[in-house]
Amino acid sequence: MIISGFGKTGQRKLKAAHVVVAGIGGLGSPASSYLAAAGIGHIKIIDSQKVEISNLNRQVIHWEPDIGRSKVESAIEKLTAMNSKIKVDAIFERITSKNVDRLIKGEDVVVDGMDNYHTRYLLNEACVRNRVPFIHGAIEGLVGQLMTIPPGGGPCLKCVIPKEPPKKSFFPVLGATPGVIGCLQAMEAIKLITGMGEPLVGRMLIFNGIDMSFDEIKVNRDPNCRVCGRKSR
Amino acid sequence: MAITVKFFAGFREATEKREEVIEGVNNIASLLDELVRRFGEKLAERLYSSDTRELRKTVHILVNGRSVDFLQKLNTPLKDGDLVAIFPPVAGG
Repeated sequence: MIISGFGKTGQRKLKAAHVVVAGIGGLGSPASSYLAAAGIGHIKIIDSQKVEISNLNRQVIHWEPDIGRSKVESAIEKLTAMNSKIKVDAIFERITSKNVDRLIKGEDVVVDGMDNYHTRYLLNEACVRNRVPFIHGAIEGLVGQLMTIPPGGGPCLKCVIPKEPPKKSFFPVLGATPGVIGCLQAMEAIKLITGMGEPLVGRMLIFNGIDMSFDEIKVNRDPNCRVCGRKSR
Repeated sequence: MAITVKFFAGFREATEKREEVIEGVNNIASLLDELVRRFGEKLAERLYSSDTRELRKTVHILVNGRSVDFLQKLNTPLKDGDLVAIFPPVAGG
C-alpha cells in the first residue's frame, strides 16, 4: 500500500475486483498466487485437468501429494491458505464455445493460462465480445510472450497471431519461464485494476531466458481482424 | 530504400543479431531471400520447411505492426522506412 500511486484506494480496488485465471498450470500457478497475495477479492480459477507428476517442474501451486487431484481443488486449498480474506471459486470445467461467455462475463480481468490457441482464441473473442480485459501469455522452453488486450483499445490476440501455430503434443519448458510470465501477468492485472502504470497494450513483450532479454514487438489493431476490426461489426 | 528487420527468440539466435537494415528489397519474399543470403542455413532452417521449402507455420511476420496474413502475405510490399518483425509465437502455458 505504500507504493507511490497505490495506497488504500488501490488496495480497495483489488479487494473489489473479480479476476478469472483460465488454466492453473505453469502460467496460472504464479499468476493466481500473486493475485491472491495482492488481495484480489474474488478469483475464479478454471481448469479441467488433474495434477500429474510431469506438471511439477513448473506448475508450482501443485505439489507431490496433489497428484491425481483436480488442479482447481489443489489450487483453491493453497490460495485460500495464502490469503484467507479472499474468495476463490474453483471451476472444474473445460472452456468451450458453449460456456466461455458464462465463465467470463462481468469479470474485471481474464488471465490467460492456456496451453493451446484454440481455447486462447475462444477467450480472446469472448473478452472482446463482453468487453473484459484479457492478459495473454504463452511460453515454451526459455521463451515467453505477454500482451494485454483491453476492451475497445489496442490489438487483440487475433490481430497479432491470426493463424494458430502448429500444434505440439509436448512442450519442453524450463519451470522458471512460466514463473516469469505468470508473475508479469499478475502485475498487468493489478495495474489494470488499480490504474497504475502503462499496461502492455499494442505491445507484445518477448522474454528470452537464454540471453535474459526483454523485447517488445509493436502491434497495431488490424482493421481486417474478424474479432476486433471492421469485419467484426 | 532501407527496411529495418527485428529478430526475436530463435531468429535472433540464428542471426546473432537483434536487428538488421536491408536495402534493395520490395516485398517480404525478396526480404527473406536477402536475409537467407546474409545469414545462411541457420536462418533458412528456421524459416523454411526442409522438405517442402515453404515458410514454416511457426514463422510470424509483422510489417509496421500488422501481420502479413492480413496484408499480402509473402507478396506484401515494402517501402522505405518500414519495420519488419519476425518472431515464432509460443503456445505453452
